[in-house]
Amino acid sequence: MQAGSAKSSQTLSTESANIVELKNISKSFPGVIANRDISLRVARATIHAIVGENGAGKSTLMKILYGLHQPDSGTISVNGSVTQFKSPSEAIAAGVGMVHQHFMLADNLTVLENIILGSEPTKLGVLSLGDARKHVKEIATSIGVEIDLDLPISELGVGQRQRVEILKVLFRGAEILVLDEPTAVLVPQEVDELFTNLRKLVANGTTILFISHKLDEVLAISDAITVIRQGSTVATVSPKSVDRLKLAELMVGSDLPSHGERATKVGEKVQLSARNLTVIGKDRKSPVQSVSFNVAEGEIVGIAGVDGNGQFELCEALLGLVASQGTIEISGTDVSKLSIRERLNKGLAYIPFDRHREGLMLAASLWENGLLGHEGSLSRGPMIDVDSAKKSCREIIERFGVMTPSELVPAFVLSGGNQQKLVVGRNLAKAPKVLIAAHPTRGIDVGAQAAVWDEIRRSRDAGMSVLLVSADLEEILGLSDRILVMFDGKISAELEPKKATPQILGKYMTGAQ
Amino acid sequence: MTQTKNFKLFVLISAALAIVSTVRLWTNQDALTSSDTIGTALRLTVPILLAGMAGLWAERCGVLNIGIEGMMIFGTWFGAWGAWQFGPWVGLLFAILGGMFGGLVHAVATVRFNIDQVISGVVINLFAYFGVRYLSELVYVGKPGGGISQSPPQKWALPKFNLPILSGGEVAGWKSPDFLGWLESQRWFVLGDLGGISRGLTHSISWATVIAVIVVPVSAWVLWRTRFGLRLRSSGESPVAAESLGVKVNRLRYYGLLISGGLAGLAGGTLSIVASSYYRQGQTAGRGFIGLATMIFGNWRPSGVLTGAMLFGYAEGIKLVASDSITALFLLIASMSGVFLLYAIISRKRSQLLVTLCAFVLSAIAYRTIDTVPESLTQSLPYVVTLIVLATANQRLRPPAMAGVPFRPGEPH
Repeated sequence: MQAGSAKSSQTLSTESANIVELKNISKSFPGVIANRDISLRVARATIHAIVGENGAGKSTLMKILYGLHQPDSGTISVNGSVTQFKSPSEAIAAGVGMVHQHFMLADNLTVLENIILGSEPTKLGVLSLGDARKHVKEIATSIGVEIDLDLPISELGVGQRQRVEILKVLFRGAEILVLDEPTAVLVPQEVDELFTNLRKLVANGTTILFISHKLDEVLAISDAITVIRQGSTVATVSPKSVDRLKLAELMVGSDLPSHGERATKVGEKVQLSARNLTVIGKDRKSPVQSVSFNVAEGEIVGIAGVDGNGQFELCEALLGLVASQGTIEISGTDVSKLSIRERLNKGLAYIPFDRHREGLMLAASLWENGLLGHEGSLSRGPMIDVDSAKKSCREIIERFGVMTPSELVPAFVLSGGNQQKLVVGRNLAKAPKVLIAAHPTRGIDVGAQAAVWDEIRRSRDAGMSVLLVSADLEEILGLSDRILVMFDGKISAELEPKKATPQILGKYMTGAQ
Repeated sequence: MTQTKNFKLFVLISAALAIVSTVRLWTNQDALTSSDTIGTALRLTVPILLAGMAGLWAERCGVLNIGIEGMMIFGTWFGAWGAWQFGPWVGLLFAILGGMFGGLVHAVATVRFNIDQVISGVVINLFAYFGVRYLSELVYVGKPGGGISQSPPQKWALPKFNLPILSGGEVAGWKSPDFLGWLESQRWFVLGDLGGISRGLTHSISWATVIAVIVVPVSAWVLWRTRFGLRLRSSGESPVAAESLGVKVNRLRYYGLLISGGLAGLAGGTLSIVASSYYRQGQTAGRGFIGLATMIFGNWRPSGVLTGAMLFGYAEGIKLVASDSITALFLLIASMSGVFLLYAIISRKRSQLLVTLCAFVLSAIAYRTIDTVPESLTQSLPYVVTLIVLATANQRLRPPAMAGVPFRPGEPH
């Protein structure tokens, strides 16, 4: 920490239009340089977007601004005075609030408890719950949010959780709001609502720092855009002066790989088929109701839908994680009575929804993660063949372009995009017949996304069948040969990607049709 | 809403009382609800209750505390030493300090140095066991009545109190009437049991018991109604979220473990100062672990821990006071599980049905066939009862989400 306090005199003017100024910020973690000499100026009462690939250092930079990390060098000025936030509470006191990408909520605590935590109204240390409730209700009403303050967070949906996060920050009287990938978890309609709220906030004088890699959204909402690549700032541009392609180029540093029409044809043979698949839920409501579909050799069938309409249960049923009624066939053999392991041996592979929860052992090394599901082929008798496992992991790393110092580091060291590449690579390495890919590119950057898409296309051209579940319409439209829309546990529509537009899809996804 | 809840509780307690009373009259085993049994049960409840609360405080702040047994051992030894030297009140204070020492060791190991929480707890148990033996050799050996495995007897005991007029005893030389005792001796249906139970809870009660019972509402109030409590719970539920809001998670975990250790120490102190008048090796007899079981039974809530501890204390109390009432206890268990069985049938809860059916059949067979219970079975009875109740109690457990997960502030998450 060698923050140059000598420079503070220059920025002490109170009329400074820039409410936040970061100068020459550098930060490294063991083995990774997250930020290198980053500078950033944010004008008061604007929405300033920070875009960059995952692992580019956006989140780290914002965590530094919020006091979660301390910079190795560089200065932070807020409201014209140079400051050093040693902890988030100091940042909060200075009016900086942050909504994290992964929600920072305690599941078993109530909405109210989560909102007031850390700045509780008290009398002699005793919580003034009545006052708190009133205050939170006021704020919620002012931005048009309705929420039961006594529910535990675990009973809320994603959109509601994000509202709790925003209320939390507003409750602290933040005038600078940092939003880390706020739209990653939202459906289009919810995104619009969020943007309306944000514009209202800016009109009231709040400054918003908006981290994203969804370029259309960034172009739509922000007043200024700063692009970060590999830990350094590349440029700060106005959304009026750039278009999507230009922005993507700045982010990736080279031309985007083109999406392109497929050169190969969909095969004849059906490789995955489900007939009247039904999953009985816990409270006698069926999350999946009598769903039938086929996926042919070399075909990608996209399942579009708002999260929570049965896609998750459908994938788990196909894999055998939950019990289901109806038949599932892989290459013509009925597998509905088989165990998960037996289904995998029939050539099934699964890219799970949540790479942290189901895809990886975060604290284990990459080669151990790469080994999962392949223990059979990478062992000698009861012993793991460590050398072959490491070698196979190195192959995955090389083939799928996972950016890592080596296969020996633990998985949590990698950025989200690189973690996902490892998960995808592990599943594609053995050339499965059928791939179930659930949100294969959720929360990863454009470069990694293109790489994952390319790999899925390549395997498809080699004859692999893919069931693609995604909330990202661009992904669904770009990859699928056929689109099924899931709503409320049923397939509500089958569409051709060429004829489908986001508007049409949106209608079916929300049950408006 | 609370009114219907209170009403439900009232019905439940009345039904339980009626069953107990019927079983008592049927089998002629007055010991089931005698004030002797209840009084003993209360004394046996206290250390388990405190151990359970120690576990609750630790897990609520996010750290597993397997070392409660060891902290209790510190409590018994230091408590006995303090009581032997300076009297029982100072003894209890030393017991708390001894336990807090154990809590501090656990905190430094797990919070500061990120040692595995289970390993640290086990090490504290072993360290306490052999550590106090070493201390005994230094301090107690050669003293009258003392030795390597026990301390010299204490000269004073803690004062006890009775509820005047209702439960006998003496107030400033005046011999108070014993209304509840009279009621108990009438053996009336339900009323006699009420008399016995209330007299057991109010006759000749040690002040240490009062302190222990007060710990329950005070803990609940602190944890759910104060800023400190909310922040402490948030450290156990989601330390990352708490840290992001400026809560000093590690500091709170230190506090939580100090409180946990203090309560465990007090639990030990009640064993060596209240329940007996000297320290003896092995005095804790696994109560720290039973305390952890009651914490799970109680769903990490103070009132639940109290219920679990009372249940265990009651089973052990019967065992001590009237081991020939054990067969009556089988009938009691059979009747209770019979009621639960009916409830399970009516509400069609299949998982509950199976367990209650097993409990019902087993205890009914035991009652019909066993006349004299072997000593070894009597010894294990409290554990069996706890097991049965744990298995039949149908509840959704809500442990603190991040209890047992190490937390390192300021790392990339």
